[in-house]
Amino acid sequence: MNKRLWITSIIGVIVLAVFGVFFSAHSNADQSAQSNQRIKIIFWHEMTGPGADQIQQFADNFNKKQTKYEVVPEYEGSYNQAIQKVLQTHGTNASPALFQSMDVSTGQMRNANITTPVQKFIDEDKYDMDKIMPAARAFYSKDGQQLSMPFNTSQPTLFYNKAVFKKYGVKDLPTDPSYDDIKNAAKEITDKSKGAVKGVTVDAYGWYFEEFMANSGQTLANMDDGHDGFPTKVDFTNQATVNAMNWLQEMNKNGSFISFGSGSTSASNEIASFLSGKLGIMLQSSASMGQLEAAAKPGDLGVTYYPRPNGQKSNGVAIGGASLWISNDKDSATQRGAWEFIKYLMQPENQAQWQKATGYIALNKDSQTEPVLKELYKQHPEAQVPSNQLARTKPNATNSGILMEGLVQMRTITQNAMQQIYAGRNVNDALKDAENQFNSYLAQHNKANGYSNK
Amino acid sequence: MLKSFDNKALEELNDSNASENERAKKGLKKRSDFGYAVLFLGPSLLLLGVFVFYPMIKTLYMSLFLTNNFGQTTIFVGLKNYTSLLTSASFLASLSSTFIYVIGVMVLTIVLGLALAVFANQKLKGIQFFRTIFSSTMGVSVSVAAIFFLFVFNPTTGLLNQMAGLLHLPQLNWMTDPNLAMITVIVSTVWMNLGFTFLVLFGALQAVPRSLYDAADIEGASKSYQLFKITIPMISPSLFFVGIVTLIGAFKSFGLIDLMTAGGPNNATNLLVYRIYQDAFLNGNYSQASTESIVLTIIIAVMTIIQFKVLEKRVNY
Amino acid sequence: MSIQLKHLTKKYEGSDTPVLENVSAHIEDNEFFAIVGPSGCGKSTLLRMIAGIIPISSGSLYLNGEVANDLAPKDRKLSMVFQSYALYPFLSVFDNIAFGLKARKQPKDLIKQRVDKALALVNLTDHRDRKPKDLSGGQRQRVALARAIANESKICLMDEPLSNLDAQLRAKMRIELKELQQKLGLTVIYVTHDQVEAMTMADHVMVLNHHHVQQIDTPLGVYQHPSNEFVASFFGTPQINLINAQYQNGSLKMDEDFIMDTDDALIEGHQYKVGIRPNQLQINSDVNNGNAQVVNVSQLGDRTMVEARLKNEQEVRIVLDGQVDIRPQQFIQIEGANGYFIFDADDRSLVSVKKGALTNA
Repeated sequence: MNKRLWITSIIGVIVLAVFGVFFSAHSNADQSAQSNQRIKIIFWHEMTGPGADQIQQFADNFNKKQTKYEVVPEYEGSYNQAIQKVLQTHGTNASPALFQSMDVSTGQMRNANITTPVQKFIDEDKYDMDKIMPAARAFYSKDGQQLSMPFNTSQPTLFYNKAVFKKYGVKDLPTDPSYDDIKNAAKEITDKSKGAVKGVTVDAYGWYFEEFMANSGQTLANMDDGHDGFPTKVDFTNQATVNAMNWLQEMNKNGSFISFGSGSTSASNEIASFLSGKLGIMLQSSASMGQLEAAAKPGDLGVTYYPRPNGQKSNGVAIGGASLWISNDKDSATQRGAWEFIKYLMQPENQAQWQKATGYIALNKDSQTEPVLKELYKQHPEAQVPSNQLARTKPNATNSGILMEGLVQMRTITQNAMQQIYAGRNVNDALKDAENQFNSYLAQHNKANGYSNK
Repeated sequence: MLKSFDNKALEELNDSNASENERAKKGLKKRSDFGYAVLFLGPSLLLLGVFVFYPMIKTLYMSLFLTNNFGQTTIFVGLKNYTSLLTSASFLASLSSTFIYVIGVMVLTIVLGLALAVFANQKLKGIQFFRTIFSSTMGVSVSVAAIFFLFVFNPTTGLLNQMAGLLHLPQLNWMTDPNLAMITVIVSTVWMNLGFTFLVLFGALQAVPRSLYDAADIEGASKSYQLFKITIPMISPSLFFVGIVTLIGAFKSFGLIDLMTAGGPNNATNLLVYRIYQDAFLNGNYSQASTESIVLTIIIAVMTIIQFKVLEKRVNY
Repeated sequence: MSIQLKHLTKKYEGSDTPVLENVSAHIEDNEFFAIVGPSGCGKSTLLRMIAGIIPISSGSLYLNGEVANDLAPKDRKLSMVFQSYALYPFLSVFDNIAFGLKARKQPKDLIKQRVDKALALVNLTDHRDRKPKDLSGGQRQRVALARAIANESKICLMDEPLSNLDAQLRAKMRIELKELQQKLGLTVIYVTHDQVEAMTMADHVMVLNHHHVQQIDTPLGVYQHPSNEFVASFFGTPQINLINAQYQNGSLKMDEDFIMDTDDALIEGHQYKVGIRPNQLQINSDVNNGNAQVVNVSQLGDRTMVEARLKNEQEVRIVLDGQVDIRPQQFIQIEGANGYFIFDADDRSLVSVKKGALTNA
């Protein structure tokens, strides 16, 4: 008797607990729906620091300006992590209405069919896309259709420490430097400082690897870098890439190059070295501009375009950063709200404010005449270099990103190849291995996802 | 006579009664035991089922397929994931760096932890201070430790290279040279492990009776002889425990790797767990990650069994 | 191997009072020397100083005529049996006994020969491969003993080796230990808190109390000529009676009705303590009104122990031979003692020893 009572009461408690949780969750949902008449736009982003603050501020201002929508920005960790979260939550209550996704995920996002192309709203509103920088626009479009709205946009940029150049009597770099220009300056700094200052570094970073090809006008993947269909093969052993890698290895061999490895820590390590005057030249995202300007003495920061092959005109580089996507698993009113917020973000004054706060490039052409930016350029003329680089770039297949899946994986592979090359491995061998490795991955990936060009 | 007979009869009667009662009780007990077993084990079995067994089986299942971007299984490939994994040069490189790392971490952790514990076990003035210091790394989180070591090992502004510069020693690329990066990561992990290991071993040392050493002193055993013939056997259960915990912990190291080298340079510190993380959560290659997980699980299980089988014989409880 | 202690003192840093002060003794070769005293008297400390485990603060220790103060324990050529036995739990009986020999890197066959011999001496040959945890307390004790023997050093220090055994086993081991000591010609220094052990085994006894030596003598000497009240009370069971008395007119007055004449020249009116062993008291139980009332009676079989109270509330223990019919509450007449000690009530030292004289009250 006693025993039965025990069992019954324990089961009772468990059942009650389960129901309790269920009902309370349910009633919470009901409550929030009732108390809030605005349509909630959950916005996933991956910005930290000033970027995150600025996004919050944009959302607050947007929410104040109108009463129909409420934008709720939520930070979701790194770009790579966010992609997986978006894919895994799609179609559930947990998924966002609007999300920020990195440049290299573009192909994957398109293929996944989880978003509504912003082209639909552009058409509905007859929104003037000509105001947006073409090279940025092109990166996130396919077959003349805009898939997502470019948002935080950066350019790979070369920074050099003018104080170091001056100290050792090295001539400033031209705005559009060639591989040799850099090699010579780096060598001079290293020699004249007797090795105390290292001439140059290039992070073992897949983005730079891709940009060397872009700036040489070389496609990386077949199907015209994916703008013409599903890529099935990559080519790392082309002459342009070999030239770039040979150039890096040569600087390594003559002692003017220092490697900081790869990953986020390498970037902070090299910036620290750069600012402490122990490093002359580095490649960085233009998004580091704000940080560098804040730390460097006025006039000490030199900024140029991305390195170009000797004796060749720059083809222009692809942008980096991320764009804004509208999920297709929310109702049309919510999607419309997400679009309204995108439009708000793209307004000239907001883009100007974005560039000032973060260093990402203002994408609205009208932003350049905004007082915020005029003031910035007056104080830091070099801050205009990335915008100029972007503005002068004429979009083509090779400088508008690679519409291919597995770019995250590819970067791991190309980064390893770069590190092997820095460590002295034969350039052709390293590149061939990397190419084979990724091609077999790509074949399997296409098969697993059922992609084919037929 | 009569009296004794009576007694005997009574005893027999009692016996039979008792055994019957017992039998009845046993039957009852069996039935209710099962009920209680279900009652008490049920919740934990349910939780284990949901959070351990199901994910394990699902992982095994996924490792037999190719998965698409959404992590859904699409094409059955049987053991092909395993064969291609086990023949992939980069996986094998990962595997060997994992073993180097695990063995390095385990050996150094135990040797240094024991050395510190033996030192702290002496009766010296101010030894309490050292005891506190030695165990203090237990309270340090991985991220704090990583930041600290990034500061120490930074190639140009790091403490180590600054000091090397002052002493006119060569400045080494601790985190970017593929050969040194492994050492850097091992040293950092050992440092992290040391507090816990020290505490466990120190506690074990304190439990060794003083008289054993007194006896050995009188019998003419040197201090090193005492270390190997008394101290180590006496604390062998704790050494064994620390060994297993460190081994499994090292196989699962993630935080320091992620924060310090992110698997680089050139995959030199791309340990299995980190690789699994990259494949699953960065590359979205779930079938590959599942395959690697299964391989890792088997390796850890085998290593643990070996440790139990081989070492337990030498452990004195 | 003789041992000589000269003014040994042990003082710990930061403490004012020494743990041991001015301990001197001479221990002859082949002697069984017991150090006895209550717990905390410093007897184990003394033993450890001799062993070399604890450094000596001042004074000198001579082993075989040579100063050994700074000699390392291993160079003192002695062995030691610990109260806890200090056996290595992870080693077999054989390996425990062989530990010291192995540490000294003796040849294998010598080790085997010595260990076998030691095992045979303590009757443990059949248990050589067992671990200590599989042995009884008495067997472990004998392993510890065998380990000391295998050493073949002539001095053996023992720190309460029997205190963890039950009473019967202890009695048996006392005899075995003594035999072993004589057979092997050992010089044994034996620390104990048990006066029976000291009395039954030792050739000489050192009595320690309050960090000082109270007396060094043969067991009988200690019993018959206790140098002070403490020694008298420490030896003998049941404990000696120590009765307050005043000397008046040639008599010791313990109570109005219990007065003993004495021929000692004592100080008139001074307070003394009369020490009378319980078996030395003479009583008459066949009285209507005596000088003491029985409080408790314990029949021990061969003896009867009576606890009685004088009229001034002082308690007296009396041991009578055989089974005597006395009941509580009954009055008895304490008639006198066959022998007694007189101690000064102030400094507690022995004043006089009276023997055999039946002194009437």
